Amino acid sequence: MNNKESQKVLDRRDFFKKTAALSVTAIAGTSLVSSNARADDPAIMNNVPWGQKWGDPVTANRYGVPSKYEHNVLRRNTKLLASGNFRASIAVAPIQESMGIITPNGLFFSRSHGGVAHVDPHEYRLMIHGLVEKPIVLTLEQLKRYPSVTRTHFIECPANGGQEWRGPQFNSIQFAKGFMSCAEWTGVYLKTILADLGLKPEAQWMLAEGSDNSEMGRTIPIDKVLDDAMIVWGQNGEALRPEQGYPVRILLPGWEGNLCVKWLKRLEFSTEPWYCKEETSKYTDLKPTGKAIQHFYANEVNSTVTSPSPEIDWTHLKDGDIVEIEGLAWSGMGTIKGVDLSFDGGKNYVEAKLKGLVLPKSWTRWSYIHTYKKGDVLQLTSRAMDDAGYIQPTIDQEVSVMGVEAVYHRNAVETWEVNAKGEVNHVQIRS
Amino acid sequence: MFKLDRKLIITASTAAAVALFTLGCGGSTGTTESKKASKISIDGGVSYPVVNDKTGPYYVNPQVAQDAPKIYNGRVPTANELKAWNKDIMPDGTGLPEGSGSVEDGEEIYDAKCVMCHGDFGSGGGGYPALSKGNAYDLQKTLTNNRWKDPDADGPTREFGSYWPQASTLFWYIKDGMPHPFSKSLSDDEVYALVAYVLNINEMEIDGVEVDDEYVLDREKFLKIKMPNRNGFEPNIDGPNALPGVRAYYANAKNFGAQNLNQGAVRCMKDCQKASVKTKRINGGITGFLPPMSDVRDLPAVKEVKVDPKEVYKNACAMCHDSYLAPGSDEWAGYVAEGMDTVYAKAIKGTQGGMPAKGGTSLSDANFKTVVDYITTGKVK
Repeated sequence: MNNKESQKVLDRRDFFKKTAALSVTAIAGTSLVSSNARADDPAIMNNVPWGQKWGDPVTANRYGVPSKYEHNVLRRNTKLLASGNFRASIAVAPIQESMGIITPNGLFFSRSHGGVAHVDPHEYRLMIHGLVEKPIVLTLEQLKRYPSVTRTHFIECPANGGQEWRGPQFNSIQFAKGFMSCAEWTGVYLKTILADLGLKPEAQWMLAEGSDNSEMGRTIPIDKVLDDAMIVWGQNGEALRPEQGYPVRILLPGWEGNLCVKWLKRLEFSTEPWYCKEETSKYTDLKPTGKAIQHFYANEVNSTVTSPSPEIDWTHLKDGDIVEIEGLAWSGMGTIKGVDLSFDGGKNYVEAKLKGLVLPKSWTRWSYIHTYKKGDVLQLTSRAMDDAGYIQPTIDQEVSVMGVEAVYHRNAVETWEVNAKGEVNHVQIRS
Repeated sequence: MFKLDRKLIITASTAAAVALFTLGCGGSTGTTESKKASKISIDGGVSYPVVNDKTGPYYVNPQVAQDAPKIYNGRVPTANELKAWNKDIMPDGTGLPEGSGSVEDGEEIYDAKCVMCHGDFGSGGGGYPALSKGNAYDLQKTLTNNRWKDPDADGPTREFGSYWPQASTLFWYIKDGMPHPFSKSLSDDEVYALVAYVLNINEMEIDGVEVDDEYVLDREKFLKIKMPNRNGFEPNIDGPNALPGVRAYYANAKNFGAQNLNQGAVRCMKDCQKASVKTKRINGGITGFLPPMSDVRDLPAVKEVKVDPKEVYKNACAMCHDSYLAPGSDEWAGYVAEGMDTVYAKAIKGTQGGMPAKGGTSLSDANFKTVVDYITTGKVK
């Protein structure tokens, strides 16, 4: 069948062929396999069980939950990243199933250094002190009385992709790129609270400290504090989840997730930085020179194909099917300006199309409509650019400066290989 | 030229920031300055100044900037509250308590409270990091090891002794975060002892003296610790000129392996690869995903949970059944005479007479039968 024919309105014969094929895929294992391409679809012909009896009353599920059929859409862990009996560990988001640019709260990736704390909101206090004229203690109610702003931003662990400096490791988009999520956050700009506290001119750094078991802290430069740093309590229209620091965390749009301290208890201003554990022993990028980059703040411009993926591949597609290649692009240094897509692992690129809202320091959806040719081997590589001028490096370009021991901030292009059967494998194109 | 512009911009940025807090947000002074200033951010990216009541795509309420300097929703902390929470320990000794502890005591505490996770002599294991891999000064030299071209070569050793820039971090973290399941339970002397032990297993010295098995550490000696990798980090973050240095570092994409189209990078569209590149595939790789990967939309295996028939009756049945065929009512006799299997079947499938299937619940058949038993007899078995 040529392209022109395939784009015609489907005739009845085609419809049933497709339906039969889809039914077999969708409910393989049942006895529905029919050799008659013209067979009527039982899903249409028969009454369905949920159509002939009462559904749940509205009193069921006072807090709604997903359909029980969606039970495989989950955060996942690996045994390799199980430090501290999964208390100094990460659960990654199923971005192969993600839609649009918002991660539902129950699927938002979760990273903690001493387990997920459960903070009593009545006992919550935030202290701001150090180089300010008027230090302050706030209860949760007092904090939330400040005028709020709502912003859509991704949060990404800078170790997203950090296991793959020396070669591909995860045959999974969830694990290769799922150390991140995106949500709409509600809180107050730190500069709004500080406007009254009288920041002293010699203040250069701010310590943000959590109240959790590890008392996780990080040093933040004053530039970010006075720019877009937020103290947030809302996530996608409800209170932060405990995994995201309930009741309050710091949000530094675009910067390392680790800097966005959860279960926030204290902010202190100083002339000198603190040298916290997570900005010295970890979250530093060792280069081949032997010097490590410290205070590496922003997650750089990045992108990946999310569909197809090793998890949800193209084995069900037929020759000539028109399919949407989809992906995410994001930059902690600005707004996505464009995404290029390569079918040959980065040798040649075409422009992909951005979709939906394109917001600063947010996930951005992109897509490309493709006519699938059964048997073709494709190496799908995406490459994003942002309005600060950054463009994703090739693996060779990034490694030539950073070596392969940096762990964090790996943003070279990713390649997903579609084999002749339509299966998808994670590969790297490099010298 | 670019560098000069940038310097001016940074100066303007600092000036604008200070102006914000000395003059308040209401003043129009410096508006043009700050518009320019906020375009370059310390991280090398862009930021979005408020222009015409918008920052990037978002509207902002201009009243907030106007009135923010008048909002003070909390209270001043007491001296004791500050003391209770301000417990961080900085490299210059700020926050470091008085006290002392010996390597010998440290080893005893280590064996009692730490070894199960951090391994013998801090060798690691149990999913927790190692604290030492040997002599700190020798291992610091491994930091130039890079398995870039030779994947089988030794990698760099990044343990406390060989990598960390400051000893204060160790004291602070042990005091605040250790032992992991019972944090903030160690006395200052115990922390000194553990720090002494960690220095000992890293074969470190203080002021020319080896931290041997007899060593006793105190505050004065602690402040003389010089970490072997103290100068192993960039950009510089110490001293009054730290921030301009950090800004300059991230203004140059080459410092951190980035490609910037405004700094000479090229967006290649055709024939972009060297002939030397190959497709590298996963060799073994990382697996062991929990739960196993799946995108199947089937019904999950459900564990049968027994329900309280009275509770179910109250929520799902009472509104109709209280007035007809109530629990234990004589009206049931005729139905029960048809045999309980018939009653069960009608209850489960529903009847034309108005009984919804399973009373509109989603209970299992077995569970719903216990509800039927209750309604027909008035008793819970």
